[in-house]
Amino acid sequence: MLGIDSFPTSIKQIQLFCLVPTAQKLALMFLLAAVTYGATGIGAMLLMTLLANTHLGKDGAGKHGISIAESSRLGGVAIAIIVIVYIAGLSLMSPYTSGPERDDTFLYLWCAVLFCCLLGLAEDVKPDFLTPMLRLGAKFAVLGALFWLSPALIPLTIGVPAVDFLLNLPVLGWVLVTVFAVGFINALNMADGANGLVPGIALASFAVFFMEYGRPMDGALMFACSIFFIFNVISGWYFLGDTGSYGLGAILLGYGLLGVADGHFSAGFMAALFCYPCVDFMVSVIRRFRAGRSPFSADNGHLHNRLHQLIRLRVRSSVMANSFTGLIISGSTSGAVLLIYVVGLLPPDSDLWYIAFVVEFLIYLATLKYLTSIQPKTQYADVG
Amino acid sequence: MRVILSFIAAIGLIWVGVLESASSSVEDFKRYSDAHVLNHGHGSMQRVLAVGLVGDLVVSKIISDGRDTVIIDGNEEFSLPSPIFSGNPRGPK
Repeated sequence: MLGIDSFPTSIKQIQLFCLVPTAQKLALMFLLAAVTYGATGIGAMLLMTLLANTHLGKDGAGKHGISIAESSRLGGVAIAIIVIVYIAGLSLMSPYTSGPERDDTFLYLWCAVLFCCLLGLAEDVKPDFLTPMLRLGAKFAVLGALFWLSPALIPLTIGVPAVDFLLNLPVLGWVLVTVFAVGFINALNMADGANGLVPGIALASFAVFFMEYGRPMDGALMFACSIFFIFNVISGWYFLGDTGSYGLGAILLGYGLLGVADGHFSAGFMAALFCYPCVDFMVSVIRRFRAGRSPFSADNGHLHNRLHQLIRLRVRSSVMANSFTGLIISGSTSGAVLLIYVVGLLPPDSDLWYIAFVVEFLIYLATLKYLTSIQPKTQYADVG
Repeated sequence: MRVILSFIAAIGLIWVGVLESASSSVEDFKRYSDAHVLNHGHGSMQRVLAVGLVGDLVVSKIISDGRDTVIIDGNEEFSLPSPIFSGNPRGPK
Protein backbone atom coordinates (compact mmCIF):
# COMPACT_ATOMS: atom_id res chain seq x y z
CA MET A 1 0.00 0.00 0.00
CA LEU A 2 1.27 3.47 -0.82
CA GLY A 3 2.39 5.71 2.03
CA ILE A 4 2.32 9.49 2.04
CA ASP A 5 6.07 9.62 1.29
CA SER A 6 5.63 7.83 -2.03
CA PHE A 7 3.38 10.59 -3.41
CA PRO A 8 4.78 13.21 -5.78
CA THR A 9 5.75 16.62 -4.40
CA SER A 10 2.66 18.31 -5.86
CA ILE A 11 0.36 16.00 -3.92
CA LYS A 12 2.30 16.74 -0.74
CA GLN A 13 1.89 20.44 -1.38
CA ILE A 14 -1.83 19.95 -1.83
CA GLN A 15 -1.92 18.00 1.42
CA LEU A 16 -0.12 20.78 3.30
CA PHE A 17 -2.49 23.28 1.76
CA CYS A 18 -5.40 21.17 2.94
CA LEU A 19 -4.38 21.65 6.56
CA VAL A 20 -4.80 25.43 6.37
CA PRO A 21 -6.79 27.04 9.18
CA THR A 22 -10.31 28.42 8.89
CA ALA A 23 -9.36 32.04 8.15
CA GLN A 24 -7.22 31.04 5.19
CA LYS A 25 -9.95 28.78 3.83
CA LEU A 26 -12.43 31.65 4.08
CA ALA A 27 -9.98 33.98 2.33
CA LEU A 28 -9.48 31.49 -0.49
CA MET A 29 -13.23 30.90 -0.88
CA PHE A 30 -13.96 34.63 -1.07
CA LEU A 31 -11.06 35.18 -3.48
CA LEU A 32 -12.33 32.48 -5.86
CA ALA A 33 -15.87 33.84 -5.60
CA ALA A 34 -14.64 37.37 -6.37
CA VAL A 35 -12.57 36.30 -9.38
CA THR A 36 -15.32 34.18 -10.91
CA TYR A 37 -18.45 36.22 -10.05
CA GLY A 38 -17.18 39.62 -8.76
CA ALA A 39 -19.17 41.52 -6.13
CA THR A 40 -22.15 39.22 -6.73
CA GLY A 41 -19.99 36.19 -5.94
CA ILE A 42 -18.75 37.82 -2.72
CA GLY A 43 -22.37 38.49 -1.72
CA ALA A 44 -23.39 34.90 -2.42
CA MET A 45 -20.38 33.56 -0.52
CA LEU A 46 -21.18 35.85 2.43
CA LEU A 47 -24.77 34.59 2.45
CA MET A 48 -23.58 30.98 2.47
CA THR A 49 -21.07 31.68 5.26
CA LEU A 50 -23.80 33.25 7.39
CA LEU A 51 -26.25 30.40 6.80
CA ALA A 52 -23.55 27.82 7.51
CA ASN A 53 -23.04 29.42 10.94
CA THR A 54 -26.68 29.45 12.01
CA HIS A 55 -27.86 26.84 14.50
CA LEU A 56 -30.70 25.78 12.23
CA GLY A 57 -30.13 22.62 10.19
CA LYS A 58 -26.88 21.61 11.91
CA ASP A 59 -25.60 18.09 11.37
CA GLY A 60 -23.54 16.50 14.09
CA ALA A 61 -20.07 15.14 13.26
CA GLY A 62 -20.25 11.93 11.24
CA LYS A 63 -23.96 12.19 10.52
CA HIS A 64 -23.77 13.21 6.88
CA GLY A 65 -22.27 10.82 4.32
CA ILE A 66 -18.53 10.51 4.83
CA SER A 67 -18.11 13.83 6.62
CA ILE A 68 -16.69 13.70 10.13
CA ALA A 69 -17.06 17.40 10.91
CA GLU A 70 -20.06 19.35 12.22
CA SER A 71 -21.74 20.99 9.27
CA SER A 72 -24.89 22.72 8.05
CA ARG A 73 -27.56 21.18 5.84
CA LEU A 74 -28.85 24.51 4.56
CA GLY A 75 -26.90 24.62 1.28
CA GLY A 76 -30.10 24.10 -0.71
CA VAL A 77 -31.74 26.99 1.15
CA ALA A 78 -28.80 29.26 0.27
CA ILE A 79 -28.99 28.25 -3.41
CA ALA A 80 -32.75 28.89 -3.41
CA ILE A 81 -32.35 32.38 -1.87
CA ILE A 82 -29.67 33.38 -4.38
CA VAL A 83 -31.67 32.15 -7.38
CA ILE A 84 -34.92 33.77 -6.17
CA VAL A 85 -33.20 37.15 -5.54
CA TYR A 86 -31.51 37.04 -8.94
CA ILE A 87 -34.54 35.99 -10.99
CA ALA A 88 -36.97 38.28 -9.14
CA GLY A 89 -34.63 41.24 -9.67
CA LEU A 90 -34.09 40.43 -13.33
CA SER A 91 -37.85 40.04 -13.90
CA LEU A 92 -38.59 43.37 -12.23
CA MET A 93 -35.86 45.43 -13.85
CA SER A 94 -35.22 44.01 -17.29
CA PRO A 95 -37.18 42.75 -20.30
CA TYR A 96 -36.74 39.18 -19.06
CA THR A 97 -39.96 37.21 -18.69
CA SER A 98 -39.40 34.10 -16.58
CA GLY A 99 -40.51 30.68 -17.81
CA PRO A 100 -43.39 30.19 -15.34
CA GLU A 101 -44.89 33.53 -16.46
CA ARG A 102 -45.01 32.63 -20.12
CA ASP A 103 -45.42 28.86 -20.26
CA ASP A 104 -47.72 26.50 -18.32
CA THR A 105 -45.22 23.63 -18.54
CA PHE A 106 -42.58 25.71 -16.73
CA LEU A 107 -45.19 26.91 -14.23
CA TYR A 108 -46.15 23.35 -13.28
CA LEU A 109 -42.51 22.29 -13.24
CA TRP A 110 -41.51 25.08 -10.84
CA CYS A 111 -44.52 24.35 -8.62
CA ALA A 112 -43.27 20.73 -8.38
CA VAL A 113 -39.73 21.98 -7.66
CA LEU A 114 -41.04 24.24 -4.90
CA PHE A 115 -42.98 21.36 -3.34
CA CYS A 116 -39.90 19.11 -3.43
CA CYS A 117 -37.83 21.87 -1.81
CA LEU A 118 -40.39 22.29 0.98
CA LEU A 119 -40.46 18.54 1.52
CA GLY A 120 -36.67 18.59 1.90
CA LEU A 121 -36.72 21.71 4.07
CA ALA A 122 -39.02 20.02 6.59
CA GLU A 123 -36.48 17.20 6.85
CA ASP A 124 -33.49 19.58 7.10
CA VAL A 125 -35.00 21.72 9.83
CA LYS A 126 -36.52 18.86 11.81
CA PRO A 127 -35.07 15.41 10.96
CA ASP A 128 -37.64 12.58 10.78
CA PHE A 129 -40.48 15.12 10.82
CA LEU A 130 -42.04 13.14 7.94
CA THR A 131 -41.86 9.37 7.66
CA PRO A 132 -39.95 7.97 4.63
CA MET A 133 -43.18 6.46 3.25
CA LEU A 134 -45.00 9.79 3.51
CA ARG A 135 -42.17 11.57 1.70
CA LEU A 136 -42.12 8.92 -1.01
CA GLY A 137 -45.90 9.11 -1.41
CA ALA A 138 -45.79 12.91 -1.59
CA LYS A 139 -43.15 12.78 -4.32
CA PHE A 140 -45.21 10.29 -6.32
CA ALA A 141 -48.29 12.49 -5.98
CA VAL A 142 -46.55 15.72 -6.99
CA LEU A 143 -44.55 14.31 -9.87
CA GLY A 144 -47.51 12.26 -11.07
CA ALA A 145 -49.60 15.44 -11.14
CA LEU A 146 -46.79 17.28 -12.94
CA PHE A 147 -46.60 14.75 -15.78
CA TRP A 148 -50.38 14.48 -15.97
CA LEU A 149 -50.72 18.27 -16.35
CA SER A 150 -47.64 18.64 -18.59
CA PRO A 151 -47.44 15.66 -20.94
CA ALA A 152 -44.93 17.68 -23.00
CA LEU A 153 -42.34 16.66 -20.39
CA ILE A 154 -42.72 12.97 -21.32
CA PRO A 155 -40.25 12.04 -24.07
CA LEU A 156 -41.88 9.89 -26.75
CA THR A 157 -38.63 8.43 -28.03
CA ILE A 158 -35.36 7.66 -26.25
CA GLY A 159 -33.73 5.58 -28.96
CA VAL A 160 -34.64 2.18 -27.45
CA PRO A 161 -37.55 0.69 -29.48
CA ALA A 162 -39.15 -1.38 -26.68
CA VAL A 163 -39.11 1.55 -24.23
CA ASP A 164 -40.32 3.95 -26.95
CA PHE A 165 -43.33 1.67 -27.54
CA LEU A 166 -44.21 1.71 -23.82
CA LEU A 167 -43.72 5.47 -23.53
CA ASN A 168 -46.16 6.03 -26.36
CA LEU A 169 -48.94 4.19 -24.52
CA PRO A 170 -50.84 7.02 -22.79
CA VAL A 171 -51.21 5.85 -19.18
CA LEU A 172 -48.25 3.48 -19.12
CA GLY A 173 -45.92 6.21 -20.40
CA TRP A 174 -47.09 8.49 -17.60
CA VAL A 175 -46.58 5.75 -14.97
CA LEU A 176 -43.10 4.89 -16.26
CA VAL A 177 -41.92 8.50 -16.28
CA THR A 178 -43.37 9.17 -12.80
CA VAL A 179 -41.59 6.13 -11.35
CA PHE A 180 -38.36 7.15 -13.10
CA ALA A 181 -38.70 10.73 -11.79
CA VAL A 182 -39.18 9.66 -8.16
CA GLY A 183 -36.25 7.25 -8.51
CA PHE A 184 -34.05 9.98 -10.03
CA ILE A 185 -34.69 12.45 -7.20
CA ASN A 186 -34.00 9.75 -4.60
CA ALA A 187 -30.86 8.74 -6.49
CA LEU A 188 -29.51 12.28 -6.37
CA ASN A 189 -30.31 12.48 -2.66
CA MET A 190 -28.55 9.15 -2.07
CA ALA A 191 -25.45 10.26 -3.99
CA ASP A 192 -25.11 13.42 -1.89
CA GLY A 193 -22.44 11.94 0.34
CA ALA A 194 -19.16 13.62 -0.60
CA ASN A 195 -18.06 17.23 -0.95
CA GLY A 196 -18.48 18.42 -4.53
CA LEU A 197 -20.20 15.26 -5.80
CA VAL A 198 -23.82 16.31 -6.34
CA PRO A 199 -22.89 20.03 -6.56
CA GLY A 200 -20.36 19.09 -9.25
CA ILE A 201 -22.93 17.08 -11.20
CA ALA A 202 -25.45 19.93 -10.88
CA LEU A 203 -22.87 22.53 -11.89
CA ALA A 204 -21.85 20.59 -15.01
CA SER A 205 -25.50 20.03 -15.92
CA PHE A 206 -26.54 23.66 -15.54
CA ALA A 207 -23.48 24.69 -17.55
CA VAL A 208 -24.65 22.40 -20.36
CA PHE A 209 -28.24 23.70 -20.17
CA PHE A 210 -27.05 27.30 -20.09
CA MET A 211 -24.74 26.85 -23.08
CA GLU A 212 -27.51 25.12 -25.02
CA TYR A 213 -30.45 27.40 -24.18
CA GLY A 214 -28.98 30.59 -22.61
CA ARG A 215 -31.92 30.88 -20.21
CA PRO A 216 -31.28 33.35 -17.35
CA MET A 217 -32.68 30.76 -14.92
CA ASP A 218 -29.95 28.30 -15.95
CA GLY A 219 -27.38 31.10 -15.58
CA ALA A 220 -28.63 31.91 -12.06
CA LEU A 221 -28.61 28.23 -11.07
CA MET A 222 -25.11 27.79 -12.51
CA PHE A 223 -23.93 30.82 -10.53
CA ALA A 224 -25.46 29.63 -7.25
CA CYS A 225 -24.14 26.08 -7.75
CA SER A 226 -20.64 27.41 -8.59
CA ILE A 227 -20.44 29.38 -5.35
CA PHE A 228 -21.82 26.45 -3.36
CA PHE A 229 -19.35 24.12 -5.10
CA ILE A 230 -16.39 26.34 -4.09
CA PHE A 231 -17.68 26.58 -0.50
CA ASN A 232 -18.46 22.87 -0.19
CA VAL A 233 -15.19 21.60 -1.67
CA ILE A 234 -12.84 23.94 0.22
CA SER A 235 -14.50 24.03 3.64
CA GLY A 236 -16.67 20.92 3.93
CA TRP A 237 -18.88 22.88 6.38
CA TYR A 238 -21.91 22.92 4.19
CA PHE A 239 -24.12 20.34 2.48
CA LEU A 240 -27.01 20.60 0.07
CA GLY A 241 -29.32 18.91 2.54
CA ASP A 242 -32.62 17.41 1.44
CA THR A 243 -33.84 20.85 0.29
CA GLY A 244 -30.96 21.06 -2.15
CA SER A 245 -30.87 17.46 -3.33
CA TYR A 246 -34.67 17.23 -3.81
CA GLY A 247 -34.91 20.70 -5.36
CA LEU A 248 -31.92 20.36 -7.69
CA GLY A 249 -33.04 16.81 -8.50
CA ALA A 250 -36.47 18.06 -9.57
CA ILE A 251 -35.01 20.89 -11.67
CA LEU A 252 -32.44 18.66 -13.39
CA LEU A 253 -35.11 16.05 -14.00
CA GLY A 254 -37.53 18.56 -15.54
CA TYR A 255 -34.94 20.30 -17.71
CA GLY A 256 -33.45 16.96 -18.76
CA LEU A 257 -36.80 15.45 -19.74
CA LEU A 258 -37.82 18.62 -21.57
CA GLY A 259 -34.51 18.65 -23.45
CA VAL A 260 -35.00 15.03 -24.55
CA ALA A 261 -38.70 15.54 -25.39
CA ASP A 262 -37.83 18.60 -27.52
CA GLY A 263 -35.09 16.66 -29.32
CA HIS A 264 -32.25 19.00 -28.26
CA PHE A 265 -30.58 16.25 -26.26
CA SER A 266 -30.57 12.50 -26.72
CA ALA A 267 -31.58 10.26 -23.82
CA GLY A 268 -28.06 8.81 -24.08
CA PHE A 269 -26.61 12.26 -23.38
CA MET A 270 -28.71 12.60 -20.22
CA ALA A 271 -27.81 9.04 -19.18
CA ALA A 272 -24.11 9.89 -19.51
CA LEU A 273 -24.54 13.24 -17.72
CA PHE A 274 -26.39 11.72 -14.74
CA CYS A 275 -24.66 8.33 -14.84
CA TYR A 276 -23.25 8.29 -11.30
CA PRO A 277 -26.40 8.94 -9.23
CA CYS A 278 -28.54 6.66 -11.42
CA VAL A 279 -26.09 3.75 -11.59
CA ASP A 280 -25.12 4.03 -7.92
CA PHE A 281 -28.81 4.00 -6.95
CA MET A 282 -29.57 0.91 -9.04
CA VAL A 283 -26.45 -0.96 -7.88
CA SER A 284 -27.18 -0.06 -4.23
CA VAL A 285 -30.77 -1.31 -4.48
CA ILE A 286 -29.61 -4.61 -6.05
CA ARG A 287 -26.80 -4.95 -3.49
CA ARG A 288 -29.23 -4.52 -0.59
CA PHE A 289 -31.74 -6.97 -2.08
CA ARG A 290 -28.99 -9.55 -2.39
CA ALA A 291 -27.98 -8.94 1.22
CA GLY A 292 -31.62 -9.44 2.31
CA ARG A 293 -32.07 -5.84 3.46
CA SER A 294 -34.54 -3.12 2.61
CA PRO A 295 -33.53 -1.52 -0.72
CA PHE A 296 -33.89 1.93 0.87
CA SER A 297 -31.91 1.28 4.06
CA ALA A 298 -28.84 3.46 4.44
CA ASP A 299 -25.37 1.95 4.33
CA ASN A 300 -21.77 2.79 3.52
CA GLY A 301 -21.31 0.49 0.55
CA HIS A 302 -21.55 3.20 -2.13
CA LEU A 303 -18.64 3.69 -4.48
CA HIS A 304 -17.98 7.14 -2.99
CA ASN A 305 -17.73 5.61 0.51
CA ARG A 306 -15.24 3.02 -0.65
CA LEU A 307 -13.21 5.47 -2.74
CA HIS A 308 -13.12 7.83 0.22
CA GLN A 309 -11.70 5.11 2.44
CA LEU A 310 -8.93 4.51 -0.09
CA ILE A 311 -8.11 8.21 -0.38
CA ARG A 312 -8.36 8.78 3.39
CA LEU A 313 -5.39 6.44 3.88
CA ARG A 314 -3.29 8.70 1.69
CA VAL A 315 -4.49 12.23 2.46
CA ARG A 316 -4.05 13.67 5.94
CA SER A 317 -6.90 16.17 5.80
CA SER A 318 -10.30 14.54 6.25
CA VAL A 319 -12.01 17.42 4.43
CA MET A 320 -9.74 17.10 1.43
CA ALA A 321 -10.10 13.31 1.34
CA ASN A 322 -13.84 13.91 1.22
CA SER A 323 -13.50 16.61 -1.45
CA PHE A 324 -11.11 14.61 -3.61
CA THR A 325 -13.63 11.76 -3.58
CA GLY A 326 -16.43 14.01 -4.78
CA LEU A 327 -14.28 15.78 -7.36
CA ILE A 328 -12.91 12.56 -8.84
CA ILE A 329 -16.41 11.08 -9.28
CA SER A 330 -18.22 14.19 -10.51
CA GLY A 331 -15.26 15.20 -12.70
CA SER A 332 -14.89 11.80 -14.34
CA THR A 333 -18.62 11.45 -15.08
CA SER A 334 -20.58 14.69 -15.55
CA GLY A 335 -17.38 16.75 -15.87
CA ALA A 336 -16.17 14.53 -18.73
CA VAL A 337 -19.55 14.85 -20.47
CA LEU A 338 -19.38 18.65 -20.11
CA LEU A 339 -15.88 18.63 -21.61
CA ILE A 340 -16.95 16.51 -24.59
CA TYR A 341 -19.96 18.81 -25.09
CA VAL A 342 -17.84 21.99 -24.93
CA VAL A 343 -15.20 20.62 -27.30
CA GLY A 344 -17.99 19.49 -29.63
CA LEU A 345 -16.78 15.92 -30.10
CA LEU A 346 -20.38 14.67 -30.19
CA PRO A 347 -23.58 16.61 -30.85
CA PRO A 348 -25.90 16.56 -27.81
CA ASP A 349 -28.71 14.89 -29.77
CA SER A 350 -26.56 11.93 -30.88
CA ASP A 351 -27.46 8.42 -29.72
CA LEU A 352 -23.71 7.68 -29.59
CA TRP A 353 -23.81 9.16 -26.08
CA TYR A 354 -25.10 5.75 -24.98
CA ILE A 355 -21.56 4.48 -25.60
CA ALA A 356 -20.22 7.08 -23.16
CA PHE A 357 -22.84 5.93 -20.64
CA VAL A 358 -21.84 2.26 -21.07
CA VAL A 359 -18.15 3.16 -20.62
CA GLU A 360 -18.96 5.08 -17.40
CA PHE A 361 -21.08 2.16 -16.17
CA LEU A 362 -18.30 -0.37 -16.82
CA ILE A 363 -15.73 1.86 -15.07
CA TYR A 364 -18.11 2.16 -12.11
CA LEU A 365 -18.52 -1.63 -11.84
CA ALA A 366 -14.80 -2.32 -12.26
CA THR A 367 -13.85 0.29 -9.63
CA LEU A 368 -16.49 -0.94 -7.18
CA LYS A 369 -15.37 -4.54 -7.66
CA TYR A 370 -11.72 -3.61 -7.12
CA LEU A 371 -12.45 -1.52 -4.03
CA THR A 372 -14.71 -4.23 -2.60
CA SER A 373 -11.97 -6.81 -3.11
CA ILE A 374 -9.40 -4.76 -1.15
CA GLN A 375 -11.83 -3.60 1.57
CA PRO A 376 -13.71 -6.81 2.37
CA LYS A 377 -13.85 -6.54 6.14
CA THR A 378 -14.29 -2.88 6.93
CA GLN A 379 -17.15 -0.65 7.98
CA TYR A 380 -17.83 -0.35 4.23
CA ALA A 381 -18.54 -4.03 3.71
CA ASP A 382 -22.17 -5.09 3.34
CA VAL A 383 -23.85 -6.49 6.37
CA GLY A 384 -25.40 -9.82 5.51
CA MET B 1 -27.73 42.75 14.90
CA ARG B 2 -24.40 42.13 13.22
CA VAL B 3 -25.81 39.02 11.55
CA ILE B 4 -28.79 40.96 10.17
CA LEU B 5 -26.49 43.66 8.79
CA SER B 6 -24.32 40.97 7.21
CA PHE B 7 -27.41 39.41 5.57
CA ILE B 8 -28.42 42.79 4.20
CA ALA B 9 -24.86 43.32 2.89
CA ALA B 10 -24.91 39.88 1.25
CA ILE B 11 -28.24 40.48 -0.50
CA GLY B 12 -27.05 43.97 -1.47
CA LEU B 13 -23.92 42.57 -3.13
CA ILE B 14 -25.98 39.96 -5.01
CA TRP B 15 -28.25 42.83 -6.06
CA VAL B 16 -25.19 44.51 -7.67
CA GLY B 17 -25.06 41.64 -10.13
CA VAL B 18 -28.82 41.78 -10.70
CA LEU B 19 -28.61 45.50 -11.48
CA GLU B 20 -25.63 45.01 -13.77
CA SER B 21 -27.35 42.17 -15.68
CA ALA B 22 -30.63 44.07 -15.91
CA SER B 23 -29.09 47.38 -16.99
CA SER B 24 -26.79 45.66 -19.52
CA SER B 25 -29.79 43.85 -20.96
CA VAL B 26 -31.88 47.03 -21.18
CA GLU B 27 -28.98 49.03 -22.64
CA ASP B 28 -28.44 46.39 -25.28
CA PHE B 29 -32.15 46.32 -26.07
CA LYS B 30 -32.18 50.12 -26.46
CA ARG B 31 -29.07 50.13 -28.60
CA TYR B 32 -30.39 47.44 -30.88
CA SER B 33 -33.88 48.83 -31.24
CA ASP B 34 -32.62 52.41 -31.74
CA ALA B 35 -29.75 51.88 -34.09
CA HIS B 36 -29.60 48.18 -34.95
CA VAL B 37 -25.98 48.24 -33.83
CA LEU B 38 -24.75 44.99 -32.37
CA ASN B 39 -22.52 45.74 -29.43
CA HIS B 40 -21.69 43.00 -26.96
CA GLY B 41 -20.56 45.42 -24.21
CA HIS B 42 -18.34 42.52 -23.25
CA GLY B 43 -15.60 42.81 -20.65
CA SER B 44 -16.14 46.39 -19.42
CA MET B 45 -14.38 47.01 -16.10
CA GLN B 46 -17.64 47.91 -14.35
CA ARG B 47 -19.25 44.66 -15.38
CA VAL B 48 -16.22 42.55 -14.50
CA LEU B 49 -16.15 44.09 -11.00
CA ALA B 50 -19.87 43.53 -10.58
CA VAL B 51 -20.21 40.00 -11.91
CA GLY B 52 -16.62 38.71 -12.29
CA LEU B 53 -14.91 36.97 -15.17
CA VAL B 54 -17.27 34.00 -15.48
CA GLY B 55 -20.30 36.16 -14.68
CA ASP B 56 -19.32 38.49 -17.54
CA LEU B 57 -19.58 35.58 -19.98
CA VAL B 58 -22.91 34.52 -18.46
CA VAL B 59 -24.40 38.02 -18.72
CA SER B 60 -23.14 38.40 -22.31
CA LYS B 61 -24.82 35.15 -23.31
CA ILE B 62 -28.07 36.08 -21.58
CA ILE B 63 -28.06 39.40 -23.45
CA SER B 64 -27.21 37.94 -26.85
CA ASP B 65 -29.81 35.17 -26.47
CA GLY B 66 -32.38 37.74 -25.33
CA ARG B 67 -31.58 39.75 -28.46
CA ASP B 68 -32.08 36.67 -30.62
CA THR B 69 -35.45 36.18 -28.97
CA VAL B 70 -36.42 39.73 -29.92
CA ILE B 71 -35.29 39.26 -33.49
CA ILE B 72 -36.71 35.78 -34.04
CA ASP B 73 -39.94 35.92 -32.07
CA GLY B 74 -40.92 39.50 -32.65
CA ASN B 75 -41.07 40.38 -28.95
CA GLU B 76 -43.44 37.56 -28.13
CA GLU B 77 -41.34 36.43 -25.18
CA PHE B 78 -39.26 39.52 -24.62
CA SER B 79 -41.45 42.26 -23.21
CA LEU B 80 -40.54 45.95 -23.24
CA PRO B 81 -37.95 47.09 -20.70
CA SER B 82 -38.87 49.03 -17.61
CA PRO B 83 -39.21 52.78 -18.28
CA ILE B 84 -37.28 53.44 -15.04
CA PHE B 85 -34.14 52.13 -16.68
CA SER B 86 -34.52 52.86 -20.32
CA GLY B 87 -37.28 55.27 -21.13
CA ASN B 88 -39.29 54.05 -24.06
CA PRO B 89 -36.95 52.29 -26.47
CA ARG B 90 -39.52 52.17 -29.22
CA GLY B 91 -40.69 55.77 -28.86
CA PRO B 92 -39.37 58.82 -30.72
CA LYS B 93 -35.74 59.74 -30.05
